[in-house]
Amino acid sequence: MRNIWTIFRKELYRVFSDRRLILMIFILPGVSIFAMYWLIGTLIHNQMEAVREHTIVIYEEHMPATVRANLESLADLDDPITFSFLDDETYDLATLKDLVREGDIDIALVFEADFEAKIDDYHIDDPPVVDILHNYGRQHSSFAYNTVSSVLETYRSDKLLGRLENPDHALIFASVYHADDIVDERRIAGQGLAMLLPFLTIIFLFSAAMSIGPDSIAGEKERGTVATLLITPIKRSEIAIGKVVSLGLLTLASAISSFIGIVLSLPRLMQADTNNIDYAIYGVAEMLLILFTLMATVLIIVGLIAVISAYARTIKEASMLIMPFYLVTMIIGIMSSFGTEPSQSLWVHFIPIYGAVNFLNGVFVFDYAVANFVVVVATSVLYTTAFVVLLTRLFNSEKVMFQK
Amino acid sequence: MKPLSVKNIRKTFTLSRKQRKIEQTDAARKVAVDNVSFEARPGEIFGLLGPNGAGKTTTLRCVATLIRPDEGDISVDGFSVLTDAGNVRKRIAFLTNELKLEDHFTPTYLYRYFSRLHGIDDDVANTRREAIFKRFGIDKFAEVKVADLSSGMKQKTSLAVSLVHDPDYIVFDEPTNGLDVLTARTVTDYLQELRDQGKTVILSTHILSVVEKLCDRVGIIIDGEMKAMDTLTRVKAASSDGELETLFFDLVEASAGESHA
Repeated sequence: MRNIWTIFRKELYRVFSDRRLILMIFILPGVSIFAMYWLIGTLIHNQMEAVREHTIVIYEEHMPATVRANLESLADLDDPITFSFLDDETYDLATLKDLVREGDIDIALVFEADFEAKIDDYHIDDPPVVDILHNYGRQHSSFAYNTVSSVLETYRSDKLLGRLENPDHALIFASVYHADDIVDERRIAGQGLAMLLPFLTIIFLFSAAMSIGPDSIAGEKERGTVATLLITPIKRSEIAIGKVVSLGLLTLASAISSFIGIVLSLPRLMQADTNNIDYAIYGVAEMLLILFTLMATVLIIVGLIAVISAYARTIKEASMLIMPFYLVTMIIGIMSSFGTEPSQSLWVHFIPIYGAVNFLNGVFVFDYAVANFVVVVATSVLYTTAFVVLLTRLFNSEKVMFQK
Repeated sequence: MKPLSVKNIRKTFTLSRKQRKIEQTDAARKVAVDNVSFEARPGEIFGLLGPNGAGKTTTLRCVATLIRPDEGDISVDGFSVLTDAGNVRKRIAFLTNELKLEDHFTPTYLYRYFSRLHGIDDDVANTRREAIFKRFGIDKFAEVKVADLSSGMKQKTSLAVSLVHDPDYIVFDEPTNGLDVLTARTVTDYLQELRDQGKTVILSTHILSVVEKLCDRVGIIIDGEMKAMDTLTRVKAASSDGELETLFFDLVEASAGESHA
């Protein structure tokens, strides 16, 4: 135990006594993740704002006064939508198409000259027609079309009601809405986070382990310092445990840095209405479950990377050998985060990494079973033990340790 | 203290396709050490003399438990390298240019770190460190990172660190390789001091003058086989002109003749 502690302390001291490594492992991941996601969120936000603040250039012919009044009334909304009406000149359809295609006009509505008269004196063989020209390849035009469509729909409904002798007859059936007292508000709040955070966190764990692990083991082989360690009387298993545990802690700390970065930037990224996500929905139990699941998972990831690093002759070779596992981990994260609802099946939680991501998804939407947590942690300990045994064998293998 | 005893060890290595091409051979395995035996006794320096690639380093790596002999055994203070490697490691110091110290750490940190791995109390380690650092002049550079030390100071730090547990058996592969004359002198003087303290010292070298200056007994190893072994005086006496150099080259030529025959 004392030897494991000695190895553990030395590995930590190696990092914490090097400002460059502190910056790279603990500060840069969080800062860069925050900066990246905040920037993406800001760009999306600015794009949406730009579309919304744009004055829609609308061409119209014979537009019913009610429709025009409704469109103009949108300027009074809290988030106003304004229109600039082009009604001084008249264009034919071909010219209008060109103008809309080029973006000079966002939308054109060409109503028949006797549009309203035809509605009032309706004949099924000769319905009133409005030509709508828009360009869904342009954001402003698409937004204009959506806005105008909803106004036209209101106009259509009003006219339909007007045809009924008694407007009350429009009520075909009554609905009593019970969803609000059924829905779990916390689950709704957690769904967005469940889609992103478990996946990203596992990726952060793997990336962090990749940046530290190869140097700690393959690097020692490459630099010739591992032999100095191997001629001491400590057991190879103590070296393996000391390395895995210290790497696990460093990886977790690095991943937490990334986690903080994403948590701080997420409101901006998800364009939350209040620019704020309520993380307080999660209690101490959920926080602890998340932390312990991450701790268990980090041990598997570090164990895997330690074994590969011990097998590789150089840091470069280790990084290359780790890459396929990184890709598999990404696929696992994507599968479990963007798939269906988190599985509650016990066997799913026996699958390394996949089970943990699935369980984390469940925790984020408050849909989890303690038995699954136990399986995730217990299997992680088992897998890690297997990796430590394998790592010990590799440390004992002269072929692996001293091959050139 | 018992002698360090090497009994009939044989060590082979698998050759990769690339290595076979370089060595111009079709053999899948190379015999690095073949049936080598010798004994190093307390209070003497035993020299393993041989040209490059003769099997000296492989033999010493077997002694240090870094690799296992395919056949034969090595006994250190009664403990076998095959069955009791941990106890062997407690009793020996092994130093070679291949063993490096991590650049990031200072000599003081490394001395304390390896002392703890050898189970030495901090107080005892501090006393030993102060003495040996002063002896080698490391004390002035004790808090300088290894990366910033001169190659001579690095070598002296490696020697100091390898001796943290004050072992009775010292195994030294090419002790003066790559050292300037001053550092080499410091190292060889210290090896003599260790012998005078009653410790068992084994060193390997391809430099005849090192053997003549330091060794009490010598084994000449060529192509993995022990060709001659005795006290330095008797080995020299076996040559036509009483010179170690003459005997050494005669043995090398004879071995080359055998392999071509």
